[in-house]
Amino acid sequence: MSLAPEQQLRRSALYRELAALGATFGEVNGAACAMRCGGTREAEAERAQALAICDLSPLPRAGFKGHGAIVWVRTQGVTVTDANNMTAWQDDGASAARLADTEVLLLSDLACASTLCNDIAGGWSPDPDTGSYPVPRADTNCWFLISGRHSATMFSKICGVDLRPDKFAMGAAAQTSIARLNGIVIRADVVDSTGGETLAYHFLTDNASARFMWDSVLDAMGEWGGAPVGLDAMRGLAGDS
Amino acid sequence: MKPGRLAAPAGARIDRNQTVEFSFDGKRYSGFAGDTIASALLANGVSILSRSFKYHRPRGVLTAAGQDSNTLVQIDDETNVLADRRAIEPGMAVTAQNVFGSLESDHANWIGHFSRFMPVGFYYKAFFRPKALWPFWEKVIRRLAGLGVVNQEADHGYYDKQYLFADVAVVGGGPAGMAAALEAAADGAEVVLMDENRVLGGSLNYARLDAAGERAETLRAELVAKVEAEANIRVLTSATCNGWFSDNWLPIIQGNRMYKLRATAMVVASGSFEQAMVFRNNDLPGVIMGSAAQRLIYQYGVKPGNRAVVVAANGDGYGVALDLLDAGVEVACVVDPRADAPGCERHHAVIERGVPVIRETTVAEVMAAPGNKGVVGARIAKVTGEGETTVTTDRFTCDLVCVSVGYHPAANLICHARGRMAYDNRQATFAIAELPAHMFAAGSVAGVYEANGAAASGRHAGWAAARDAGHDGGTEPPAAGDDGSSPNFPWPIFPHQDGKDFVDFDEDLVVVDLLNAIAEGYDNIELLKRFSTVGMGPSQGRHSSLPSVRIAAKATGKTMDQTGTTTSRPPFTAETFGHLAGRSFEPVRHTAMHWRHEEQGARMMVAGQWIRPEYYGDPANREANIKAEVMAVRENVGIIDVSTLGGIEVHGPDAAEFLNRMYTFAYLKQPVHRARYVLMTDQSGVITDDGVACRFHKNHFYVTATTGGVGAVYQEMLFHNAQWRLDVCVINSTASYAGINIAGPKARNVLARVSDDIDLSAEAFPYMGVRTGHIAGIPARLLRVGFVGELGYEVHVPASHGEALWDALMEAGKPEGIRPFGIEAQRLLRLEKGHIIINQDTDGLTHPHEADMAWAIARKKPYFVGMRSIAIQKDRGIERKLVGFTIVETNDTTTRAPEPKDCHLVIRDGTITGRVTSVGYSHVLGKIIGIGYVAPDQAEVGTRFKIKIEQGRLIEAEVTAMPFYDPYGKRQEM
Repeated sequence: MSLAPEQQLRRSALYRELAALGATFGEVNGAACAMRCGGTREAEAERAQALAICDLSPLPRAGFKGHGAIVWVRTQGVTVTDANNMTAWQDDGASAARLADTEVLLLSDLACASTLCNDIAGGWSPDPDTGSYPVPRADTNCWFLISGRHSATMFSKICGVDLRPDKFAMGAAAQTSIARLNGIVIRADVVDSTGGETLAYHFLTDNASARFMWDSVLDAMGEWGGAPVGLDAMRGLAGDS
Repeated sequence: MKPGRLAAPAGARIDRNQTVEFSFDGKRYSGFAGDTIASALLANGVSILSRSFKYHRPRGVLTAAGQDSNTLVQIDDETNVLADRRAIEPGMAVTAQNVFGSLESDHANWIGHFSRFMPVGFYYKAFFRPKALWPFWEKVIRRLAGLGVVNQEADHGYYDKQYLFADVAVVGGGPAGMAAALEAAADGAEVVLMDENRVLGGSLNYARLDAAGERAETLRAELVAKVEAEANIRVLTSATCNGWFSDNWLPIIQGNRMYKLRATAMVVASGSFEQAMVFRNNDLPGVIMGSAAQRLIYQYGVKPGNRAVVVAANGDGYGVALDLLDAGVEVACVVDPRADAPGCERHHAVIERGVPVIRETTVAEVMAAPGNKGVVGARIAKVTGEGETTVTTDRFTCDLVCVSVGYHPAANLICHARGRMAYDNRQATFAIAELPAHMFAAGSVAGVYEANGAAASGRHAGWAAARDAGHDGGTEPPAAGDDGSSPNFPWPIFPHQDGKDFVDFDEDLVVVDLLNAIAEGYDNIELLKRFSTVGMGPSQGRHSSLPSVRIAAKATGKTMDQTGTTTSRPPFTAETFGHLAGRSFEPVRHTAMHWRHEEQGARMMVAGQWIRPEYYGDPANREANIKAEVMAVRENVGIIDVSTLGGIEVHGPDAAEFLNRMYTFAYLKQPVHRARYVLMTDQSGVITDDGVACRFHKNHFYVTATTGGVGAVYQEMLFHNAQWRLDVCVINSTASYAGINIAGPKARNVLARVSDDIDLSAEAFPYMGVRTGHIAGIPARLLRVGFVGELGYEVHVPASHGEALWDALMEAGKPEGIRPFGIEAQRLLRLEKGHIIINQDTDGLTHPHEADMAWAIARKKPYFVGMRSIAIQKDRGIERKLVGFTIVETNDTTTRAPEPKDCHLVIRDGTITGRVTSVGYSHVLGKIIGIGYVAPDQAEVGTRFKIKIEQGRLIEAEVTAMPFYDPYGKRQEM
């Protein structure tokens, strides 16, 4: 039975659009997350391999900024790359994208098995001052996962950075203008237990513009038949039950 | 007999199994899938496609390649469509442009008879005198000017943009371009190969390279197969590279999409434009380029005429004659203007087929059919010198004249990139003298015309481009050899004493027009262009540029190089605003509560990128709705969505010092859990923003900013701290928080019902206090501030919880009858309190002393941005002052005094001394109140001044102390 998004205190900016698609919602991180978007898990997984967008906004994420941000996050046991604009995957499936010498973005795994984001955000304190300060990423940004073999080409309609897989490595991050909005794109192919890979990108942008971006991406996807899918489809691709 | 359709294998582009019905000027025609509008019409015997711009002379196919304006037509709302490029579609309704009456019988064709009274540039010297007649002439000129009819109500079509990336971009898919792409790809480069035509091949699709007519197709098929098999090459057909911009940024138009290609290196293999010949009546339908005849035959299976005269000044012209013969066209003769031309295989083949070839001879005049609607014959004459002939020697009956006298390089992209062209006397054309970095050229644009040579030059250019792009994989291929020949006849201009010897078909310019312009002093080629408009029409000088330079050079006694060419700028071909606009991304920001506002009947308004409620309720009752919202706040409780307010987190040990420098007030001693007003000025002392700074920790401030100003405030903070190097971290958290201001005497009652852990009593949480806690289970920041002048709390929560907070407050406020209020009510409420709005009550020059905000300047601190300027402004004295005012009521108590509007002027003795910045009727106070600038000597409370309202009427206002409402602030501090 589907959860009603309005029963939750946390709500994705897009829950109405998803509900209009016939989405089935489930509780994720205190919010209603679209687990399916009107299709079967298998059909949506197939769509996700071609071209799809999935609203991950309910999933945990966190950010830290400041001259001590990288050091402090590392002291919390998080692996952070030495290079900027690269992402390190943690043992529990979460990921840490180093956006600058002074900024890091933490993202949950699709299964939400990792408690890293909520733990580290909840554990932060202003005392003592570490030079690392929280960025409210969970509310600053909406979060989409855009997947499928056409995804890089689709991005070329809204973004000037060459995101093709042979040019934009796994884990690479781009902070750039997308459909005239600032956004973060991270190459994060979905890999299943057998090693099967689906080209995918995390895409975070202004939460207040979520509907605009959602419409812009769907319009850009149109020529390849791209459409929304639920979290179940993405979890399926990742081999999560 | 009209031209008609040829049997296969002619017509490689058409599918004879698919008939397509369309209409032209209301008459139905049928063609085949793959036909252009022009080819289908020609196959139906329709040879007139348009009327010329000035003289309304009938015009038909000239190039069959979309290179001229003769074929411009309109399709529904789409103007200026090239009929020789656009394919027909079922049901397509095509109409002719620039026609008075009908295309066949144009009422304006009489204009040509008066051409002697309309010399070049006559419109610069006419019409403006006498002045009284200009309205008449303006109507006439507007009627005559322009091509096509624009539908001003047309919707924006679906246009799109897409980025492309390549190591090497190759423009032109002929033999040179394909060879370049193949070589670059073989060397490991990622290549984008583009061509404006529907298929690759360039001239190989229609040219006859040998007597047998086999070599072109063999070479084309071989190259195309290799290109299609090469994974490193992406091919874009029907794609026009419309310009060159810095660093090889190339806009490519394909259908309704503009690609934005960034290439490391590029090869220009754009070919060349076959050139027209200048003789009397050279513009008639039936006088066409040799290549046009071949395109019609090879690509569309259209027989271009029945009896032809061919002017051949190169081997290609003899190929044209052979193709005409193969197509069943009788070739009356081939005239060759050259005196010492070597014979070639194709030349000999023409002779062998019994066609008379007449040397050192040209067509001097074409005989026009009635109404200039076609060709009935050609007079030829012996060439005796540069542009000189004997009297006509012979006349041939014909309905077709094909001209093959030379080419002009399609070097537009090279010129856009500031490459240099110079005249090559041996080649008798302009040639590339210098290429910019990262650009290479091949094929006929680079002066290599022969197909194998063009392919060789392509291979070399492709190798060089790949190398330039960092791919050093192959051995340098040999450059193209130079066989010393040229297809260009050096002087294909034969003026006629009776005129109609057109140089520019777009603008109906003849030889004498250019000579007259030069005689008037416009002897510089750029001046000649602008005065005569030569080359300024839709075809942008593709065929008029070279002859006009030749004519100017000869008339001025200069060399071709001294005369030079005009500047070529993007775009290469016409592009639509739709292409430039693309999908028109216009980001819109919604607050978390947006949908609740809509559900509750809000009328929304745009505020920067945000959409905000203006008021709630029926627009028919707008004023009553706003009044009710105001009264709810004054007497009961209301809530307003303030999520759009800017929010900036300032963390770090130097946070207070940072704010002390950024804002005018003092923050070092601001207690934790207290808020303080912030006023920002720029280096010149001008007020730029305001808000409050809420101290939640000794090292953490949450600073609010105006909706429209937060972006600039954030940038200013980063900019200044890049210099100050204070130990702070600044984060723009505007979108992170949803904000609700709950205000009114009953606000505390409502909020208390959902407050989990915050003591809201006046003692525990006083005015200008800030707290953190939970409201309805939601983590929240509470700010006790009073923009609207009543007891109120701003509740800021994570944006994802905004809607839930709104729901909780609306539910909690039901017993009190809580009411949402919008921007309009808030504006009135704050006006009653005399609170200014930055950028409404201030402008780009307002400093704090003018705005009566000296109270917000800390005098004892050493520095803040703008401090020095403000001190200077204070010493210098103010020239205006912001004051509150009320409108003085008239003696007539039955009607309300007229209400001025924002920006109405304050007038004293006919001089402007100020302006109104905010004004409105206060239902609470029962009068019109406002804020505005007046002269300093008008600023004393009680001073009366005049405001000029609509229709120049002056009304009286009186300076009034602010706040107008609750002057001691007791209501907001209760």
